[in-house]
Amino acid sequence: MVNLLLVAAAIFCFLGMAWLALAMDSHWKQVRKDRLTEFRVRLLRSLGSASLLASVLFCLAADHASMAALVWTMLLAASALGVAFTFTWRPRLLSLLVVWAKAAS
Amino acid sequence: MFQNFRLSMAWLHTWFGLVLGFVLMAIFFFGALSVFDREIDRWAIPESRFESQPMPSFDKLLRPVFESMQPSKESIEQMRSRVDGPMPERFETIRSWGAYTTHRDPVLSLFTSYEVPNAKEPEESIRANRTIDPRTGVSLPDDQLKIGSRFFYPLHYSLNFRWLNLGYWIVGFASLIMLAALVSGVVMHRKLFREMFTFRPKKSTQRSTLDLHNLTGVVALPFHFFFAFTGLVIFAGIYFPVSHSQLQQLHDQHEVLEAKETGLPHDRSGEPAQLASVDAMVAEAHRRWAERGMAGEVGFLGLTHVGDSNGYVSVYRAGTDRVALTGEGIHFKASTGEVLREDPPSTTVENINEFLTGLHLQHFRHWLLRWLYVLGGLAGCVCIATGFIFFVEKRKRQYAKEGSQTGRVVDALAVTCVTGMLLATVGILIANRLLPSSLPSGWPGRGDLEQYFFWGTWVLAMAHAFLRSAAVAQAKLNPAWREQCMALVVLAPAAVLLNWLTTGDHLYKTLSNGYWPVAGLDISLLVASGLAFLAARHLRRKALGAPGSVHRSPVLADAEVQHG
Repeated sequence: MVNLLLVAAAIFCFLGMAWLALAMDSHWKQVRKDRLTEFRVRLLRSLGSASLLASVLFCLAADHASMAALVWTMLLAASALGVAFTFTWRPRLLSLLVVWAKAAS
Repeated sequence: MFQNFRLSMAWLHTWFGLVLGFVLMAIFFFGALSVFDREIDRWAIPESRFESQPMPSFDKLLRPVFESMQPSKESIEQMRSRVDGPMPERFETIRSWGAYTTHRDPVLSLFTSYEVPNAKEPEESIRANRTIDPRTGVSLPDDQLKIGSRFFYPLHYSLNFRWLNLGYWIVGFASLIMLAALVSGVVMHRKLFREMFTFRPKKSTQRSTLDLHNLTGVVALPFHFFFAFTGLVIFAGIYFPVSHSQLQQLHDQHEVLEAKETGLPHDRSGEPAQLASVDAMVAEAHRRWAERGMAGEVGFLGLTHVGDSNGYVSVYRAGTDRVALTGEGIHFKASTGEVLREDPPSTTVENINEFLTGLHLQHFRHWLLRWLYVLGGLAGCVCIATGFIFFVEKRKRQYAKEGSQTGRVVDALAVTCVTGMLLATVGILIANRLLPSSLPSGWPGRGDLEQYFFWGTWVLAMAHAFLRSAAVAQAKLNPAWREQCMALVVLAPAAVLLNWLTTGDHLYKTLSNGYWPVAGLDISLLVASGLAFLAARHLRRKALGAPGSVHRSPVLADAEVQHG
């Protein structure tokens, strides 16, 4: 059970970091050809923040608060590295996270 | 001196980073390995490859072992100069006995200390150590080096440089500079958030190296900051030794007062006394912890003033379920077993201190967090290594034009402390598996030889890096990078193979038994070898593809990220 919670925390942390990154113009362009509208930026940032919040809640559910704080901080670092390297070598994978945004807007 | 604040920060970051980066590289790398120090011990000492054990019965098992312990001949020799008159054959007055274990330890460490008759300093103690199998009480051979917890771990905080405790001071100074480098790095970074997720290996080497330097520095910034800072907190007593210099008298008096307050005797009474059942005291401690809602195992069991009517037994809890390093100690009168004192709950300041030291020393049971710490440490290594490469890359053309050798030296040192350090690490593991269990008389101990292999490999790697460095002075790539990567490709799997041949524990066996301490290290070695291969291939392509221009591999540094 604890392991599942931690896996969920890790997944949400990665998603959160990825959405926050996609809200940046340069990274959006790596994934999509259409324009990053102001609305999309706000939506992506909200999604990213909500996802990071979910991650911290999963951490708190898995461990004592002091431990959860460390796990979450380190997950942030690991996710940011993971997101950066995915943008470098497999940016297409991250386009899956924005399939809901219709092309040609 | 500088036009603006950012430029002065850049100067600080560059030059302080360059000088102390080599030390920091070792601190980060061996710190990352120390996260799994107990597991590396299992790999290095095949006799200890069994499941972790709880603290065994004191009355039945530990007591006879403690009673049979005496200081080694070497420590008696070392003590001789600090004593007036002859040294005794046996040390009868026992100051303390201690047994220490963690949730990751199959074997149990015991240590004892004795009063030294006729010592020049009245507080002088002589010590003895032993490691036993807690299931049987049988001791492990003395000359087996616990490579993880007794070599890599002390290397992390003292560089194993014990002369005048200088190692501690160098590490402390490097940590302080690390903090300065982090702050100045953040100040001089122009696009901290905008380029937070940016790594562009296809751009120029200078650009991609800087990307990687920024990436690994920024995303793990909280880790870098807190580990440098808490490292300093842990050794504050060494860096500010007031209680043993200016304030010695105050310190001594504080000890006496504290003893009065806690009811735990500071000195022996001189009256001999029997020892009541320690197992019963341990059971009582368990009961009291459970009552407080924190049932747990014993981590440390200590006896003070053994055999004296003032003797007491301290039982500390293993901190597997929390970050803070607390023991919830319960102390008993040794002769009767009555409770003398329960450690009171920590104050706020103590809580903060326990959290800070606990987060660094990691007594908790949390495998995910352990691996994340390894990742943080290796990210630090990548950050430092790319810093060196960037330094050379930025200046190489200018150096080539001026005929300066600076770039050559920095580059060779960078090779030494990146691939050279990895080779030395693999070298000690190979020596550990190759050396026979008994050596001819007159030879140094087996553990000492393993350490000589470590340093020997490192010195060879350094010599190789310098010998091959001529190319750097012409703004070309030092072939030592690729050659040492290739050496790793061969040697890391050789360590895995030797482990199999000498112990029979191949990966299929350890994995199917779920024996992760050995399987984990074997897999990490194979992963390191694979990444070294990718790096070597990349470097070769760069060297062939663009003979005039230097392109150094970002994959090389990435190999570091993954290497556990």
